[in-house]
Amino acid sequence: MLVKTNRQLSILTIGVTLVSLAGCSGGSDYPDGYKSRFVYSDRTDSLMGEAQNGIGDLPGVKKLVDDRFGDPQKLNAWLKLPIDFGGVTGELAETPDASVAVEELTLSFDGEVTKDGDKPLLLQFVTGKAAPSIVFVSNWLAEGGKASLTAAMDVPPAAGDQVVVNGGGVLAHGRGLYMRHCSHCHGTSGDGKGPTAEYLVPRPRDYRHGVFKFTSTDAQSKVSRDDLYRILRNGVPGTYMPSFVPMLQEDELVAVIEYVRFLAMRGEFERKLVNELASDYSEAALQSRKESGESRKDIVEELKEFLTDDMQDSLAFVSDDLAESWDTANSEDALIVPDCSRIEDSIASRRIGRELYLSKTLNCADCHGISAKGNGPQTTIYEKNPITSELYPDPGLHDVWDNVNQPRNLTQGIYRGGRRPVDLFRRIHAGIKGSRMPSFKKVLKHEEIWHIVNYVLSVPFNAEPGHAPVAVPDEPAATAAL
Amino acid sequence: MKKFWALFFFFWPAVAIWCCLIAPANGWWFPGKAMSPLGERIDGLFYLILGIVIVVFIGTQFAIGYVLWKGATKPEDESATFSHGSHSLELIWTIVPSFVLVFIALYQMDVWAEFRVQSYYPEQTQEDGPKMEVTARQFEWRIRYPSAGEQLKNQPQPGDLYAVNEIHVPTGRPVKFNLRTDDVQHAFFAPQLRVKQDAVAGLIIPVWFEIPVAGEYDLVCAELCGWGHYKMRATIVAEPQAQVDEYLARLQGEQNFDGVVEDADK
Repeated sequence: MLVKTNRQLSILTIGVTLVSLAGCSGGSDYPDGYKSRFVYSDRTDSLMGEAQNGIGDLPGVKKLVDDRFGDPQKLNAWLKLPIDFGGVTGELAETPDASVAVEELTLSFDGEVTKDGDKPLLLQFVTGKAAPSIVFVSNWLAEGGKASLTAAMDVPPAAGDQVVVNGGGVLAHGRGLYMRHCSHCHGTSGDGKGPTAEYLVPRPRDYRHGVFKFTSTDAQSKVSRDDLYRILRNGVPGTYMPSFVPMLQEDELVAVIEYVRFLAMRGEFERKLVNELASDYSEAALQSRKESGESRKDIVEELKEFLTDDMQDSLAFVSDDLAESWDTANSEDALIVPDCSRIEDSIASRRIGRELYLSKTLNCADCHGISAKGNGPQTTIYEKNPITSELYPDPGLHDVWDNVNQPRNLTQGIYRGGRRPVDLFRRIHAGIKGSRMPSFKKVLKHEEIWHIVNYVLSVPFNAEPGHAPVAVPDEPAATAAL
Repeated sequence: MKKFWALFFFFWPAVAIWCCLIAPANGWWFPGKAMSPLGERIDGLFYLILGIVIVVFIGTQFAIGYVLWKGATKPEDESATFSHGSHSLELIWTIVPSFVLVFIALYQMDVWAEFRVQSYYPEQTQEDGPKMEVTARQFEWRIRYPSAGEQLKNQPQPGDLYAVNEIHVPTGRPVKFNLRTDDVQHAFFAPQLRVKQDAVAGLIIPVWFEIPVAGEYDLVCAELCGWGHYKMRATIVAEPQAQVDEYLARLQGEQNFDGVVEDADK
């Protein structure tokens, strides 16, 4: 018998407890505790060291990104971006008397500020000398806008300084939810490289291109908040993206969407900065420039000049473009609205659609195949990687994420971006962003698109539609329409 | 020390009695009120078996305590008697439990048949046929309804209506549906309805339930199906038939949406 006496029993019990406790703490792997962090893209890492890390006081790409976006523990709200960071913005109405310690401020806010019991308000200065300091408001009188601070300010602010109260709440909320529910596939940085990602086909989206496939917006536009909401609500059939309703509440969905947009903008900002530098200052460029006789010292000198003189313009250009494109995606102008209602589904309409599908100008069959099984001749070619100019190892079309981009098998009746007629209309009108499905808005009239939609929706219910001519039954079988 | 062990074994049945007395009032462990008629009968079985188990547990524990106590209070110098056991005692403790088990096996049969055996499903469900198809998938529930006035077919049909993580069923009548899975094994678990059925790849499993009271009921996956298992939450909305029809009409409208919103002012 294992335990002969009570004495042995007690020792055994303690031993087991100790072993399991030691197993729980397991802190040796992470001496500072585990901290999640944003990683930089491979392209950033392919720049020469000085371009990544800066020269002296001149910031490199990494610092420029970090200053604007922070890290997961401490997110930065870059107010230039069209992100709802939460909180109420306002400004300092009066310059406080700097001769005494500043313990009271007069503020005016754009919205209503309410204080929740004894919890102090968090007030951050966004502009002015006092920025980016954070102070706590112990007492708030909405009438007159008087805020008493918990401690005197180090740097006295001036009238007109922009402030935000309780800012960043939405983003912080979204971060918590994202880390719990999304990051295991999409990764902490939104790079689509979470721990479970490698088991999935297709791969989870890498947000850092700022490109999302299934949108309701125009071909050149970004994804709108509504599009992301629809993805979270409905999931993406045919992929591993599930629906997150009813698991997440309405306010949680909104927070996750803002955080995903934040990650996408971070990635895109980093990417675009690298674009400004990659042609001249990547490791590869450095190598070839050295071979053509330039010395490393000269190149670093040139980079220093670039960072001093041109970087400001580049930054302004990149960030203006970023802010504007993400903002306009939510506007009504970006939304694709057909200029005519869906052409009523009929055999005749499907025939027109099929003719367009097979026509030389559209050439849908080149990828999707004559029988629409997603097996067109393009799926067997070897493509060149547009960045490295080397052949991809696998045959088939590739998307901007360098994954094989299988044209949809239309006979399966699985529509990743939604099965409503308008969803298919938008896929054809704007294409599928990031993929090889192009926009057909320039070559097709809206009613022609509807004919193709009618044909595509009928495909799963006809055997081999591409081979035999579409049979004309007495009564047309209805597709999605009643 | 000998007496300690005897008391130790008396202690547990005493705790069990105490728990049984106060548990119902505190709602400990019990799964709440069943929201379906079959669920109530399943609960009846549960409580019957629980009662039998409690009686057996308390009885055997007291018996052990009694035997230990008798041994503990024997004078130290009295030598032990050796016995080959009692044939009649052995017969009793074999036959009595087997009668109890046979009784349970027979007593639960009709409930089990109604829950699991298709030919014993309520007549209404035989007439109506399946109302929808529920497909479990890593990590969500996809629902396919037939279009208005049509019967559900196993193959998708033109005009079928699709929804995700939300099932609308009429109240006050048994509703049958087909359960499938797209990938691994999942389990359709509606705790308030006491329905739990595995979804097995390659099988189409008819399941039924009846909800008398309108309201929202939980649906979760009860078969660990992967890292996102916990995400498989859905809602079963029970409402009068008219509202279900309204919902399906709305779903139809959404599914046919062509993006053109007629301006009301025009």
